Amino acid sequence: MWTVLFFLAVLWAFPIQAAWGETAPAGQQAKQLIYDDAGLLSPAEYDELNRMANQYGAQRETDIIIVTSNNTANKDVMKMTEDFYDEHAPGYDKPHGNAVILMVDMKHREVYLAGFYKGETYLDDSRLNKIRTRMSPKLTSGSYKEAFQTYIQTAYRYMGFRPGVNPDNLLFTTWFPLLISVGIGGIVVGMMAYRSGGRVTVNRQTYEDSGSSEVLEAGDRYLHTTTTKQKIEKSKSGGSGGGGGGRTGGGHSHSGSRGSF
Amino acid sequence: MPVIEYKCPNCGSGMVFDSETGMLSCESCGRKDSIENNPDPLTRNVFSEDEANEYHCTSCGAVIIAETVTTATTCSFCGSAVVLGDRLTGKLAPAWVLPFSISKEEAMQAFKKWCGNGRLTPGGFMTADRIKGIIGMYVPFWLYDINNDIEVQAAGTRVSTYIRGDYRYTETQHYDVYRKIRLNYVKVPIDAAEKMNDELMDKLEPFPYDQLKEFKTPYLAGYIAEKYSYNEDELFSQAKHKISEYIEAYIRSSMSSYTAVTYANKQIDSRMAQANYVLLPVWVVHYDYNKLEHTFAMNGQTGKVVGRPPISKGKVTAWFAAVSGISFISLKLISWMMGGGFW
Repeated sequence: MWTVLFFLAVLWAFPIQAAWGETAPAGQQAKQLIYDDAGLLSPAEYDELNRMANQYGAQRETDIIIVTSNNTANKDVMKMTEDFYDEHAPGYDKPHGNAVILMVDMKHREVYLAGFYKGETYLDDSRLNKIRTRMSPKLTSGSYKEAFQTYIQTAYRYMGFRPGVNPDNLLFTTWFPLLISVGIGGIVVGMMAYRSGGRVTVNRQTYEDSGSSEVLEAGDRYLHTTTTKQKIEKSKSGGSGGGGGGRTGGGHSHSGSRGSF
Repeated sequence: MPVIEYKCPNCGSGMVFDSETGMLSCESCGRKDSIENNPDPLTRNVFSEDEANEYHCTSCGAVIIAETVTTATTCSFCGSAVVLGDRLTGKLAPAWVLPFSISKEEAMQAFKKWCGNGRLTPGGFMTADRIKGIIGMYVPFWLYDINNDIEVQAAGTRVSTYIRGDYRYTETQHYDVYRKIRLNYVKVPIDAAEKMNDELMDKLEPFPYDQLKEFKTPYLAGYIAEKYSYNEDELFSQAKHKISEYIEAYIRSSMSSYTAVTYANKQIDSRMAQANYVLLPVWVVHYDYNKLEHTFAMNGQTGKVVGRPPISKGKVTAWFAAVSGISFISLKLISWMMGGGFW
């Protein structure tokens, strides 16, 4: 039984590995996707993240960009992101093309996430909010590398889902459907084994003499009523900050999510 | 002489009960005698009260080998059907008998078919070629008529919820509930044979009681029959236990308008209105598989088969893998249609 399970697991997991292997940039010149102006990363961390951003971004045909800044000009984090896009003209397919940008403003301790073109379609405000909620605690605690990894991986993963659907749906994971199917299999086979010996096919009506059986007396005395009330929780938009895209000075529309850390 | 045999008045051969016609039939000359219209040879004999411990076959004179509970069997030397009359009179006289309606051949066929249907049984078992023996047996049962007087006092609640503004309100109405119920059960069967597995016998139910016949010994001719090992008083607690869950369900159904009830006081007074000693038909199949003997029972009237067949690990694994695999693919397909990607 476990061999079957293991086989299934391998079967489902393998194509992802294979897909990665194929598209790893072999010999291809890695683009600069990380602009660590605030100096949050060591050179080794920088290399690792930049390679990772290239690799995952190529899968989604979108540049996954990280910008950190000490914000000496004291600009708004959203404006900084828009200006960055206009000035650097990033994009996987063309200058001013598909991109998703993470802007970290170390002065005001704020982050802004923006999706451009394909990045805007696949990473709308709500998805960017989800990404930000996932990574913000790591930024707060100073684990910048982990936070950036989360950002790259989550942006990559969310772009695999059709726009508009909830990317955190449990059905989209592998473990949840696997767990459910194993459960169904177990229950079905268990029932089959249980029923193989024959079932009891009499019920409470079989031997009941319905002609002579009845409720002779019934009393239903009302005593009192108790009422409890419970406030209906409204779903709050994620933590500090919120969504909101816009248009850059250069006229590029984008989705967005901002928040502090 | 307490041993009864049924000799054909035409040819002198032994006669046995025929499940197809419900008559006593002679296998040699084909004569068939109605059982209901002829006097039972048992009533013409008078036996001494003390039980004989040795029986001789009236055909060949050999000693009939029988357990102390056996009331009908066949002579192991000449094969004549014999009924041990002194074990079926007085307090041991059954009130009714439910004759077999499924013959030995039909039972074999039905059992083989049943074996083939087992989805988890090993392939070697499904061919059903190792049937060691199939025995038609009249199993002693007590049929209880039980009258119950029930009085219940309970606290019942009715819960309703509604939303007003930002709040969800849960309103619980409390009631004092009282029920007085008369609940009667008829012909609740309890297996009275010591050697029969109670769980197996329970699953054989229901027996079609409309086919019950007034007891006469010729019905037993050609089959094995046993007398009860426990009397009606000894088994009454089992009968009460059997109906207790039915009673609980009836009480709860009489309070179905309540969301929840907690019983403050529940009095159930069960009285045995009557208990009848009956013989019910069961085909017992012994089957050898992997050096283990499996026992199955078949209702001699309805053909229902019960008993735990061996379970094949390979088939369990295959079914598990197939069901899980199909579920997994279906779930993934759904997620794919929702836009989640297949992987």
